[in-house]
Amino acid sequence: MLRLLALVAGAGLILAFPALAPNPYILSAGVVVANYAVLATAWNFVGGFTGYMSLGHVAYFGLGAYGTGLLITKAGFPSFAALFAAAAIVAALTVPLGIASLRVRGASFVIVSIAQVLIVLLVFQSWSSFTGGSRGLVVPRAFPDLLRPEHHEVFYYLFCALLAAALLAWWAIDRSRFGMGLKAIREDEDKAQSLGTATSDYKLIVLVVSATFTALGGGLYALWFGDLDPIFQFSILTSAYIVLMALLGGVRHLFGPLVGALIVGCALEYFKVEYGSTQLHLVATGLLLGAVVMFMPDGIIPACSNLAARLLHPGESSIREVSAAELLETEARR
Amino acid sequence: MTAPRSLETVELTKAFGGVTAVDGATVTFQHGKVNALIGPNGSGKTTFFNCVTGMIKPDSGRASYRGEDITGKAPHKIARAGIGRSFQLCRIFPRMTVLDNLLVAVRAGTLKSQLTSSRDPEEIERARGWLQRVGIEHLEGIEARNLSYGQQKLLELAGVLMADPDTILLDEPAGGVNPALLGRISALVRQLNAEGRTFLVVEHNMELVMSLSDHVIVFDRGRPIAEGPPETIKSDPRVLEAYLGV
Repeated sequence: MLRLLALVAGAGLILAFPALAPNPYILSAGVVVANYAVLATAWNFVGGFTGYMSLGHVAYFGLGAYGTGLLITKAGFPSFAALFAAAAIVAALTVPLGIASLRVRGASFVIVSIAQVLIVLLVFQSWSSFTGGSRGLVVPRAFPDLLRPEHHEVFYYLFCALLAAALLAWWAIDRSRFGMGLKAIREDEDKAQSLGTATSDYKLIVLVVSATFTALGGGLYALWFGDLDPIFQFSILTSAYIVLMALLGGVRHLFGPLVGALIVGCALEYFKVEYGSTQLHLVATGLLLGAVVMFMPDGIIPACSNLAARLLHPGESSIREVSAAELLETEARR
Repeated sequence: MTAPRSLETVELTKAFGGVTAVDGATVTFQHGKVNALIGPNGSGKTTFFNCVTGMIKPDSGRASYRGEDITGKAPHKIARAGIGRSFQLCRIFPRMTVLDNLLVAVRAGTLKSQLTSSRDPEEIERARGWLQRVGIEHLEGIEARNLSYGQQKLLELAGVLMADPDTILLDEPAGGVNPALLGRISALVRQLNAEGRTFLVVEHNMELVMSLSDHVIVFDRGRPIAEGPPETIKSDPRVLEAYLGV
């Protein structure tokens, strides 16, 4: 009940943001954060369930953005038809990419995922006759009649709708047998396989789902921002931000990436305003990532709920100690 | 009438670089029995295990189960064919609860059943049954990493049983286990065997092997050098030489 209330209050707050935003600039920053929330939640289908730490998700983001832009400008698709068609193309592309990259685990997978980004970056930069290269690609506006602030507001809600869809899908997988198999892969892939889980298929399917949501986020970004450049669309830095957000919030939790995106996203926007001309925002991000890994390896949500549990029930220590004590007791009784 | 066929290998070979870990091993395991696989360290027992369960692809040779070829098949397909296995150093899902550790093994064939809740009441009842059987039902809500090593061994066995295999491969079930727990494990193996499950046990504890098994296969340098009932094996000069160096 309390959870439901918190959920409704959180959703209400997020949806009320455009009305509360003091100026269009803040509103546009909100769109950026909402976009990050979509990307981090989409990343968490792979990172959270299977434990495969992909630094390559920005490739799906960029491909979704460019796919949408190119389908509109070169093939004359209507804006939103282009968005979904681009996502479908990215989903199809992810199948061979995934088959290749998911063969390796751990650090090797991270490196392969980075390589994928660098390859698409090179292709999109050098194939400038088609992609516009570093001169950029201008994407026609989806709603030409809207004024700037209204435009931001519409896209803010579109990103929120996409976020809701991604959260719903994550929740559904989390409680399903499919999700159980994915989590078993995260814990011990060989063991999961020896119990009959078709691990390669599981990983590939969830990667395609993850890439599709990421591509939809990219496509929506293209329609909102209206100008694409390979160096930004395929930036490893964006990938790193996405991973940082998910880790900070907590990858085992439905709302972890969203919470992480709110914190990191707002911090990034703030740093850009205050120290935009320097590289200090990069230093700050690096420090934040280090702090999270060292002090809250499970993320903010579990750390806070542990803390809350300790404050609310001061007599008990952490869950883990209690269960260890219980174990001793039950063993003694046996 | 011939006995039903179980796990068989023909000329199974696997080399790592210059070392031939399994060297043309032709082995037939007896259906419905407790088979033991013994041999000195490095004689290729675990590699043989891994080849048979698909964790490693053999270089040559064949493996079949109940007459069906399983050579080089993916581990999950071999598992679904009815072979379950434990690992040498007990492997569980550390950050899942004890109950969830078992629910991973639930088969989900169709897309619809994949998307249904992983906490199916019937499956939970079945899982509890197995936890009770191995004696850790009181721990079902605890994260598996908080269990003692012995309890983790029992949990691993329960997980294997949840997948309902006809044949169970145990890699050193006695390793790192106290005598009381060992008694519990061997009693379980005997019961499960009486219920019709075939066992294949890799073990160093000779006492356990001799008391538990119906059929012993001795490995040395990647291939079987002797096989037979435990009494015969105990006095076989080739076994004594390979194993004890006498």
